[in-house]
Amino acid sequence: MVTIELYGVARLRAGRAAIEVAACSLGEALAALGVACPALEPLIVAGGRLAPGWLVALNGAQITADPEMALGEGDVVVLVSADAGG
Amino acid sequence: MGRGGFFERYLRVDLGRRTAEHVPLDEATRRAVVGGVGLGALLLTRETKPRFDPLGPEAALVLAFGPLVGTPLTTSAKLAFVAKSPLTGRISDGLSSSSFAIAGKRAGVDAIVIVGEAAEPSIVLIDEEGAEVVPCPDLWGRDFQISEASERLGKEYPEHRFAVIGVAGERLVRYAGIANEGRHAGRGGLGAVLGAKRVKAIGVRGSRAVPLADAEATLRIAKDLARRSLGPATEKYRSLGTVANLSTFNRLAALPTRNFQASTFEEARRIEGEVLHETRERGRGSCKNCTIGCEHFYEVRPGQRPVKMEYENLFALGPLCGIGDPEVVLRASSACDELGIDTISSGGTIAFAMECAERGLFPAGPLAEEARDLRFGACERMLALLGDIARRRTALGDLLAEGSRRAAEMLGGDAPSFAPHVKGMEIPGYEPRALQTMALGFAVGTRGADHNRSGAYEADFSGKVNRFEASEESAAHAVAAEDRAAVMDALILCKFLRRAMENFFGEAAEMLRAVTGLPFEAEELERAGGRITLVRRLFNEREGWTPAEDTLPARFFEEKLPGGAAKGAGIDREGFARSIKAYHARRGLDEQGYVPADIAQEMASLLGGRKR
Ligand code: SF4
Repeated sequence: MVTIELYGVARLRAGRAAIEVAACSLGEALAALGVACPALEPLIVAGGRLAPGWLVALNGAQITADPEMALGEGDVVVLVSADAGG
Repeated sequence: MGRGGFFERYLRVDLGRRTAEHVPLDEATRRAVVGGVGLGALLLTRETKPRFDPLGPEAALVLAFGPLVGTPLTTSAKLAFVAKSPLTGRISDGLSSSSFAIAGKRAGVDAIVIVGEAAEPSIVLIDEEGAEVVPCPDLWGRDFQISEASERLGKEYPEHRFAVIGVAGERLVRYAGIANEGRHAGRGGLGAVLGAKRVKAIGVRGSRAVPLADAEATLRIAKDLARRSLGPATEKYRSLGTVANLSTFNRLAALPTRNFQASTFEEARRIEGEVLHETRERGRGSCKNCTIGCEHFYEVRPGQRPVKMEYENLFALGPLCGIGDPEVVLRASSACDELGIDTISSGGTIAFAMECAERGLFPAGPLAEEARDLRFGACERMLALLGDIARRRTALGDLLAEGSRRAAEMLGGDAPSFAPHVKGMEIPGYEPRALQTMALGFAVGTRGADHNRSGAYEADFSGKVNRFEASEESAAHAVAAEDRAAVMDALILCKFLRRAMENFFGEAAEMLRAVTGLPFEAEELERAGGRITLVRRLFNEREGWTPAEDTLPARFFEEKLPGGAAKGAGIDREGFARSIKAYHARRGLDEQGYVPADIAQEMASLLGGRKR
């Protein structure tokens, strides 16, 4: 299982701070997220991809939007807005 | 020849001589630097002599409007206050939005330059005719909160809009700000520049409509921009505001904590934006003429007036000082706004003092005695200290009113190693070791450590660079981010619009063509962004800048981050030096980072025949 943590607008829209999904790649995880939290579609995730302005930090570190990125058991995908202004 | 956006002149007010004159601004100047921060930097250079005292009568304070101010374009009600900073000794500019900006421009000027020193505490009243200096003995030295002083002025002069300093500006606190209608030109101590001139407030009024070269096109663009300003690109600002950064930054280990000793805060959950939203949010607001509305107000205690909070206030008066009590952070932020001090520098300087106190770095005597109970997380102590700093009351308050760099130099010993500044300006809420392209942006900033004049953090959050390593590629991002910020601040439009604009320079050129009638093009504007940075650099060079200033405090090279997702991250000194060199080269500077003589020569006529 992979944990997806939600922050900011994503957390408000989804009404939860984290969700666990079965996924082997970021694309699979995002597709599962969209199904579990329809309020995130399509402005944050859309069909296994991130909408513009959204990114993930794998285990809080490496930042990416690549749906092919492989995920392993226990990985944590941190979904964040790329707009860090302020 | 343009037909809109500008009044093609500025007002020069000499407080000592009690004179005001309109000075023409030619088209070449307007096209070279556009307006706002660009025009402000240029006029500051023209109106001052080298190595002047920022708190002396020879200092100039420039209020510069942009060509879009007073038009129907969303978020355009802004002005730039520009001066030599008493905190850094380098150029500083603070942007602020309100009807003050519109009223000032409608006085029929593109900028106002204030020089000299009033014979007694005064206010300056400006209208289409010129300016009047009016003594204000009832307002000065009375320790009014800024809201109270503003209210009194509003009652006495209902037709004027006011920019006001607080008690901190009167007492020349080096990071005092200038407030107008709840917004603050906070950074760099511009409030002290006004205070040194014995000016409590500047009032402006005007009835001249800002001319539009092509009103139809301007309206069409304005409508389209307003529509886009309500789209997904700004949802974060509308639904949560900038406080949304706190939980994300904490998770990514980019949240400066306990004076940059850590980058995660164990009490972050208590003060994160999502929780404040659920438990305390009591309303939203916006600057004048803004469709986004990023201001969020939070309850301090039931029955009390809610307080506006932004990420920078939250991080600086919260985690940076080890404080996780939301009520205390809200009270501290409100206190800074009412006393008229910059929240980032206040938090940064107090956090520095807390670390010095914990490490026993205060020399024995009254200072050490006062700092005895100063510790990270000491809530009431921090609140009291804010008042002491703003009033320069007590030895410690007086010391910290100088900012962290000067305070550290006065303390001596190891203290300078722990002062969190670049060029004397306290570092905003982006941990440099966890965001190393931003670290480069901080190091080379003309205003010092600065998240508003460099948006280099966007590269760190893009996945295009490794955020734990500054590289030559970082330099390209840092230059591009600076150029875009410079043009946004010259127009002036709010930066929170940036993601709503797909082709920023192209769209900005289209707006300028519609408003001014001048044939601005995207490439020309991109060059203007670089030129504005060079004008600022030339000013800094004239005032004594050296290449050694383009760096970060030693801590970031010598200490690794202790925990969280960035555990073990540090900045490699040699690698960072290479990225700075790469930045200088890309910016068109010479080997050391100076503006080359031929470029300086080219710009000399723009800068009023300035000699190197
Ligand atoms: S988005 Fe926020 S800061 Fe920008 S103009 Fe609007 S209210 Fe002001």
